[in-house]
Amino acid sequence: MQYLWLVPALPLLGFLVLFIAQGRLPDRLVAVVGAGSVGLAALAALAAGLDFRQSGADAYAQTLWTWMAVDGFAPTITLYLDSLSLVMMGVITGVGFLIHLYATGYMWNDHEEPRGYGRFFAYMNLFVFAMLMLVLGDNLLTLFLGWEGVGLCSYLLIGFYHRDAANGYAARKAFVVTRVGDTLMALGLFLLFRELGTLEIQQVLAAADGLSAGMATAIALLLLGGAVGKSAQVPLQTWLPDAMAGPTPVSALIHAATMVTAGVYLIARMHDVYLLSPTALLCVAVVGLATLFISSFTALVQTDIKRVLAFSTMSQIGYMFFALGVGAWSAAIFHLMTHAFFKALLFLAAGSVILALHHEQDMFKMGGLRKKLPVPFASMLVGSICLAALPLTSGFFSKDAIMLAAFDHPQHGLMFWGVAAIAAFMTALYTTRMMLLVFAGESKTEPHDASKANMWAPLVLLGVLSLAGGWWGFDIVGDVLPDGGLAEVSHVSPQALATIAMPLLGILLGLAVFGRRLIDAQSVAATRGGRLARLFFFSGWGFDWVYDRLVKGPFVWLARINESDVVDWLYRIAAGTARAFHHATALTQTGRLRWYAVNMAVGLIVVFLIVLEVL
Amino acid sequence: MAVAVPVFHVLLVAGVLFLLGLLGVLVRRNVIFLLMSLEVMMNAAGLAFIAAGAKWGEPDGQIMFMLILALAAAEVAVALGLVLQLARRFNTLDIDAASELSG
Repeated sequence: MQYLWLVPALPLLGFLVLFIAQGRLPDRLVAVVGAGSVGLAALAALAAGLDFRQSGADAYAQTLWTWMAVDGFAPTITLYLDSLSLVMMGVITGVGFLIHLYATGYMWNDHEEPRGYGRFFAYMNLFVFAMLMLVLGDNLLTLFLGWEGVGLCSYLLIGFYHRDAANGYAARKAFVVTRVGDTLMALGLFLLFRELGTLEIQQVLAAADGLSAGMATAIALLLLGGAVGKSAQVPLQTWLPDAMAGPTPVSALIHAATMVTAGVYLIARMHDVYLLSPTALLCVAVVGLATLFISSFTALVQTDIKRVLAFSTMSQIGYMFFALGVGAWSAAIFHLMTHAFFKALLFLAAGSVILALHHEQDMFKMGGLRKKLPVPFASMLVGSICLAALPLTSGFFSKDAIMLAAFDHPQHGLMFWGVAAIAAFMTALYTTRMMLLVFAGESKTEPHDASKANMWAPLVLLGVLSLAGGWWGFDIVGDVLPDGGLAEVSHVSPQALATIAMPLLGILLGLAVFGRRLIDAQSVAATRGGRLARLFFFSGWGFDWVYDRLVKGPFVWLARINESDVVDWLYRIAAGTARAFHHATALTQTGRLRWYAVNMAVGLIVVFLIVLEVL
Repeated sequence: MAVAVPVFHVLLVAGVLFLLGLLGVLVRRNVIFLLMSLEVMMNAAGLAFIAAGAKWGEPDGQIMFMLILALAAAEVAVALGLVLQLARRFNTLDIDAASELSG
């Protein structure tokens, strides 16, 4: 366990090697360094995890060095391993390694960027390092360092194909929107430090009882703001669909499996603060509920396969927030883990399809790919049934735990459960639609499957994890956080049966509409109401439109009328005065010797007169 | 016993000499005349020292005059070099020609 520091150090080393080489390494070596560093980190994490389980301790802290020491405030770089960070570390290094391995094949023939192969893996390794610091830091400052680090890597990788201006725009949008959340989070940290005088997580949790109710609510809501931005929840969710501009492995690693779940981790980590404030907890639940509801409808009408998956990611993270909000802490972390498995699988399988079709992402131009791309088809099928939460898949166990915990919520149980159940139905519906559009029907294109073992092996492994990951879920995450609500779920009550039935109904309707065409979806969409509804859902419920009017418009207007910056005038006056004095004094410097002599004489006379007290 | 010249008269002469020299420095443009005017000013200062030394019966005034003589010799050595440079570079002895170092 004393080798815990190796887990974040190895990806950092990989990044440094690739960064210093500046893309001058041969591609094969880049692949070995890039994927190998994360693979070794996964092994180190496995060893540390087994050690930790065997020791039976509650937590293990490894202090590396003191970051800074200022007047009693001395945050250290300390790695803190407990059940929660163990799960996160396992997901990041394990799923991260599989995605890196896949990316060595996916990016292999990507000649769009000169020396892009090395740059890609440098960013990816830096991301894994930052994400590990985020979850392993025992200090909110270290957590914030990782938090901003993953934001930076997300920005760099969304804009990886930077020759296309639209990708740069998507990257900036992601950066700016998450920055709104990060600002709120920083304010929350300041407030926490002022109240408790420490940012050490364990000390904060221990001292949280001393917070007044209002202060606890304020801090919890500000931290929620950060979580909402990072995890793409309503109302800061608009960046995630555009973030799909990055390469597909990036979407799988950053925008599905790990970074976007950082908000869930933050709230779970600070759960003692949230427990003090029922208001904040209710806000978390409502944010999650709104997001999962809105994005599941949006996913139904998308045409781009990656955007379907992006909206589905938002809605699944919505389930996690929802679970946190109703107090099912372990269920949230459980869903985080299973979602990392099956959503990474879905993205990677989609990546294989996209690559085989020469970067075609429009589902309506696909079709009939079942026979031609058997491995991606099987992987995507496995991912889809997990996403739809069919019984005995991993997604079923975790989502079921959330739904039933929601039903037991003391005040709003039935309403919470109802909304989540509708979204579960929609999830199954849009997943069925996606599968049918891509893999069924007549073939429209000729795929060119060039995937090798390094691409299908991760698919197979992730498929196994997705199917079986739920079976041991209780053992792995049952004791992550002290609520113990995971094991008591009964599967025979009416609400439990209804929860199981919802995805089945969704799949049946999907097969009927998009498979058998009992109802023609095109003609429904062609009616006036259908067209409006489709447009409304397609745009993500018009959030971008509202933000354009509400924020971007006024800002641009303000910038335009204030083109000659008002604040600048003050400095322009100061600069002008200094320049005028300069010109005035420069006039006395004539360069004529006799003029200087006159000045000296006059000055001397004046001095004499002063000394003689005449003046 | 010679008739003593009143100190005031000597100082008056020294003052007049000094002002004449200063006037010369300020109004003449020829660098040779400028240097000569400087010599006049230094001698005026020397005269004042001698008179003061005689008045209080101290040798200091005469010592100061010796120093002024040394200073004048040094000044001439440096200044003649400058005059030569001025003549070579500007082909004139007009001091105002060398006014390029203006702000």
